[in-house]
Amino acid sequence: MEILSYLNACGGHRLLTRIPPSFDMSVPSVHLASGFDFSNQIRNNFLAERGIPLPKATSTGTTIVGCLFKDGIVLGADTRATEGDIVADKNCEKIHYITENIRCCGAGTAADTEFTTAMISSNMELHALWTGRKPRVVTAMTMLKQTLFKYQGQIGAALVLGGVDSAGPHLFTIHPHGSTDKLPFVTMGSGSLAAMAVFESGWKPNMDRAEALQLVKDAIFAGIFNDLGSGSNVDACIITATSTEMLRNVEMPNQRAEKENKYEFKRGTTAWKKEEVRSLITSEQVTLIGVGDESMDTS
Amino acid sequence: MNVHNEIQHLKSGEVNLGTSIMAVQFAGGVIIGADSRTTTGSYIANRVTDKLTHVHDLIYCCRSGSAADTQAIADMVHYYLQMYTQSAGERPSVQVAASLFQKLCYENKDALSAGIIVAGWDKEVGPSVYNIPVGGGMFRQPWAIGGSGSTYVYGYCDSTYREGWGRDETIEFVKNTLALAMSRDGSSGGVIRMCVITEDGVERLFVPGNELPKFWEGKDLPGLVRLAKGTDIVPMAVEV
Amino acid sequence: MFDVQSVAHQGPQSRQFNPYTENGGTILAIAGADFSVIAGDTRQSEGYSIQTRYAPKVFQLTDKAVLAVNGFSADGKMFVKKVKQRLEWYRHAHAKDMPIRSIARLIQTMLYSRRFFPYYVYNILGGIEDDGTGSVYSFDPVGSYEREACRAAGAAQSLVQPFLDNQVYYKNQTAGQDESFPTHLPLPSVLKLVVDAFTSATERHIEVGDGLEIYVVLKRDSTAIQSMEGVQEVTTSEEGQRVFYIRRELKKD
Repeated sequence: MEILSYLNACGGHRLLTRIPPSFDMSVPSVHLASGFDFSNQIRNNFLAERGIPLPKATSTGTTIVGCLFKDGIVLGADTRATEGDIVADKNCEKIHYITENIRCCGAGTAADTEFTTAMISSNMELHALWTGRKPRVVTAMTMLKQTLFKYQGQIGAALVLGGVDSAGPHLFTIHPHGSTDKLPFVTMGSGSLAAMAVFESGWKPNMDRAEALQLVKDAIFAGIFNDLGSGSNVDACIITATSTEMLRNVEMPNQRAEKENKYEFKRGTTAWKKEEVRSLITSEQVTLIGVGDESMDTS
Repeated sequence: MNVHNEIQHLKSGEVNLGTSIMAVQFAGGVIIGADSRTTTGSYIANRVTDKLTHVHDLIYCCRSGSAADTQAIADMVHYYLQMYTQSAGERPSVQVAASLFQKLCYENKDALSAGIIVAGWDKEVGPSVYNIPVGGGMFRQPWAIGGSGSTYVYGYCDSTYREGWGRDETIEFVKNTLALAMSRDGSSGGVIRMCVITEDGVERLFVPGNELPKFWEGKDLPGLVRLAKGTDIVPMAVEV
Repeated sequence: MFDVQSVAHQGPQSRQFNPYTENGGTILAIAGADFSVIAGDTRQSEGYSIQTRYAPKVFQLTDKAVLAVNGFSADGKMFVKKVKQRLEWYRHAHAKDMPIRSIARLIQTMLYSRRFFPYYVYNILGGIEDDGTGSVYSFDPVGSYEREACRAAGAAQSLVQPFLDNQVYYKNQTAGQDESFPTHLPLPSVLKLVVDAFTSATERHIEVGDGLEIYVVLKRDSTAIQSMEGVQEVTTSEEGQRVFYIRRELKKD
């Protein structure tokens, strides 16, 4: 009980409790210590030890892929989001907007992938405005890796970044600790091994658009059907020098079968203990005083 | 360099360059080389990694340890050396570059797992190789090896290296050493990438995984069953 | 130096071999007035990997008893094998099939005999009693059991059991005036509920899917006729009750 109320008092939030660098230990200092403060981690570890683990974040136990072809990049993703072994969202979007010519697939903690990509998207827009140039993929990659490195893996975002810029097509993976790889075909998430098997056997240089899209679909299918963390539909995004096509739900191989029964409850099925009807209309009596003699002075 | 420190030091799930890296100086320049394997646990996250990282025109580093840490350090040194070039009006020496690596590695030793070899050419001393192992020491050496694969080939290097080699002999030495390290170390493998850094510039060399130098690989096991040609192999029946 | 420090920091560690794994999947059984329906999906998984899309979890023991096992599949296989062996011995000794209430008690003693190294399985036994009524027995891994009208177990138990409570026991539903809920559902309604329970569990639980196997144990003289597609009679003798088998596909993602 004590621990529960302690947790509630902290509201489950990450409080930035600063350690004062006081010289006189009897008086708390008003100055803030510099740098990050991980003291809450001690509290969290203590609570976990006492059998109260942190609330589980929605993770996108995911299959995400990227593939280079003749004219650009194809990105792909499944659409299942999980909380433990329960499906939290059957049709979520994992291909995030960075700029018009750059997109980013996210695996890992859902909140982390959404916030980091949104933050970098915002900064890329400002950067493009400031420099007066079209944004480049390496810029987004550098911003992402520096952000993730700063947080030493605490931000659980595993990303596939792809786009086409003045220097041509680019495809990167970015791991949660901030390391990056530049490759012609990449996969990430819990389904990455299944998807990589498809790429390793099927990828070849200079594929055309249709071939590349089919390969990406096959890679995502491999994740959807062989990895329990991945499922539902396929999203794809084709980026070339001249256009970006977001193909939301290009394949939907997992439509729900029609239910055998109708589950409609008759009126009155739900029991109630008391009935109270209240009027939500405010009514007021308006009495007009001194009307008719003189008109109001509105000057 | 203690390999166990390095592995134990990695945070869980971190991408590891469980590596074989090397640099050797010769009269006209330096040869640096590395395998191409990047792993997360037992999964090869990248089989064609480039661990030979440019930090200045004639100064490169070989990275081992955490991929994230070494990339971040190399990016910072790359930035500092660009600033140095602009303010000093001349190219930095290899010693300057190595000192920057050493400073970053030493001052943040509790947060980093990075074993780096810096090598290059400058007009002060010509070719030079600096080893910066985990912990942030800095040692100038005629040759240096690093990463988890290096432990297997110290003996080979000690017995093989000779002073006064030319470019081609040095390349062979690097190629053979790395092939031996890659064959023994499970965390190393893939292809061999090498760079020849001389006063005139940088030349990249590439040895594909199926063209690595071969050494003794053992004989067939005695009593190994050899099927006669044309023998039908029938797959085991599977119950459905 | 690092080694000594970090090991000292972590304190002593002990390691032990863990003989158990959890193989996912879900089973359920519903008893009617003169029938019993026992069902299970056919996916077997470990972690995020599918080991096989077809591993039966429901087994016909006799012409009046069907057993569903869920949990650690290696233990499940061994347990069913041993139960079948004990039933065979019973047939040789008594020249008849063991009554279902006796099978339930047998399973209890078999489970409890491994009290300190349990079979890591949840059992649900369904069939027809000697008095001709449909019955369901559910067990925990060490042999605690009870007779019920419906029970779900396994990975999606927390999804399926509340649905069954609501639709079979009419929990949280109040009947209209001059109306009452039936004590037993007819067979077609039960089969529909079972199929919907599994298609829905497949939607929201990652370890449920691939295929569905349903066994129906029907009292020999029952008039209930199945109108479902692909019903196959698997009765083995003329004297016992009748047993039917239905297979449905489930989603494979």
